[in-house]
Amino acid sequence: MQNWPSLSRYGSLLSGLIVAAAMSVAAAQSSSNPGGTIPPAAPDFGDFGARVQKYVAYRQPIRDALPHLRSTKNRTEILARKQQLAQKLREGRANAAQGDIFTAENSAQFRRAIAAVFNGANARSVRKTVRQGEPVGDWKPTVNGEFPARMPSTTVPPTLLLRLPALPSQLAYRLVGHDFVLYDIEANMVIDFIPGALP
Amino acid sequence: MRRRDFLLSGTVLPGLFAPLFQPSHLEAFQTAQTPEVTLPLKADSVRFIAIGDMGTGERPQYELAERMEEFRKKTDFKFAIMLGDNIYGGKSPGDLARKFEAPYKTLLDAGVQFFAALGNHDDISERFYKYFNMNGKQYFTFKKNNVRFYSLDSVYMDRTQLAWLENELANAGNDWKICYFHHPLYSSGGFHGSSTELRQVLEPVLVKYGVQVVFAGHEHLYERVKPQKGIYYFTEGASGELRAGDLKKTNMTEVGYDRDRSFLAVEISGDELYFQTVTRTGKTVDSGVIRKPEQAKAGATK
Repeated sequence: MQNWPSLSRYGSLLSGLIVAAAMSVAAAQSSSNPGGTIPPAAPDFGDFGARVQKYVAYRQPIRDALPHLRSTKNRTEILARKQQLAQKLREGRANAAQGDIFTAENSAQFRRAIAAVFNGANARSVRKTVRQGEPVGDWKPTVNGEFPARMPSTTVPPTLLLRLPALPSQLAYRLVGHDFVLYDIEANMVIDFIPGALP
Repeated sequence: MRRRDFLLSGTVLPGLFAPLFQPSHLEAFQTAQTPEVTLPLKADSVRFIAIGDMGTGERPQYELAERMEEFRKKTDFKFAIMLGDNIYGGKSPGDLARKFEAPYKTLLDAGVQFFAALGNHDDISERFYKYFNMNGKQYFTFKKNNVRFYSLDSVYMDRTQLAWLENELANAGNDWKICYFHHPLYSSGGFHGSSTELRQVLEPVLVKYGVQVVFAGHEHLYERVKPQKGIYYFTEGASGELRAGDLKKTNMTEVGYDRDRSFLAVEISGDELYFQTVTRTGKTVDSGVIRKPEQAKAGATK
């Protein structure tokens, strides 16, 4: 099990509140659907949501301790901020391992959802979506690893995204080859992944 | 950058070095002409250009940028929308200088603003790059006179973004509603074609809330598609990259061009949207007018 500092270590009522607020905002945004054009939200997958919340609670004070990043013409500043955050996050979760967030139980639910979309009635279109992202096959994700800047982002099929638990804005799902990845957007860092989840 | 790379790419003096290594570009350079303007240039109109898949840092991008600047001098367009793949390959400060700041320096110096959408070759941290006017957001909206623009992230079209878009469109009133993003919902490009799955989730929202025009890139060519469910679709993915000969015209193709780089200029005045597509040699390959509401027919001329 990973060695993230527990919430109590930070005495972080504040962090908890921030996370709760972030999740509720995401939930509110997700459910906000005035026209009913968007399908209803997918149910959470077991304890996946709780594990994601724990990660967000861990990263929030680290992020807050860094200088706030505003838009700038100085690309060096943007890259430095990204690397700073990633480095700090790695320090506190050096022993994080594949499966910490994607447990065997919730991975099975993800695998089922992915299989349903990739093998369903829309399968041809879904696979085309992935191909259109010009996927690169020779890079393998590692927990805490950094995404190469040159690597194109494979589009996560939107019909798959609609079947998956919503994520807080700091995180995203990504596809890398046959692996399904949970990704920290600001730190450009792999948090966890399910190997071989994609057909 | 290594010295050899510097010389080959013609980073600072593309006109001096590149012809030595890329003879085909010399021909284009010699035959280039200042673009003629077909836009009406009405008082108080909204004028902008759309460019996509431009961020190569190579000579054709610079040459097209020269035509854009000539066009700006004649039309005084104020901003550009970027349809993704704004920066290919490396994303270092030097890369951004070579692939964005240098080619568009004269435009930037003239005060032209760039509003980006992210493509699959972009780094998500580009949203903090001030020149791209994204203010740290993956998707955003902005308004110019009676035109409301929505820059979307088609690489990651999740529920949150869809709900955001639906809310924004529902409150947009009677303005022109223009969406732009990287992956085309309709395309006759041979390499990628239409993004049919994205279309499945996005098109119902666009149709329901009366979006009139959509711009996309990804396919390295220019195409104007016949209106689909009342919406006009343009693909402009040849502002830097080019996949020559890749347009496989279909029955949805109204006009297409895949022989050279191009940019798309737009002027909106009241209920009329005028467009003009200009190539690297200054030739106009498409132009016309679209009238609001969306049922209007495009009175296009080649």
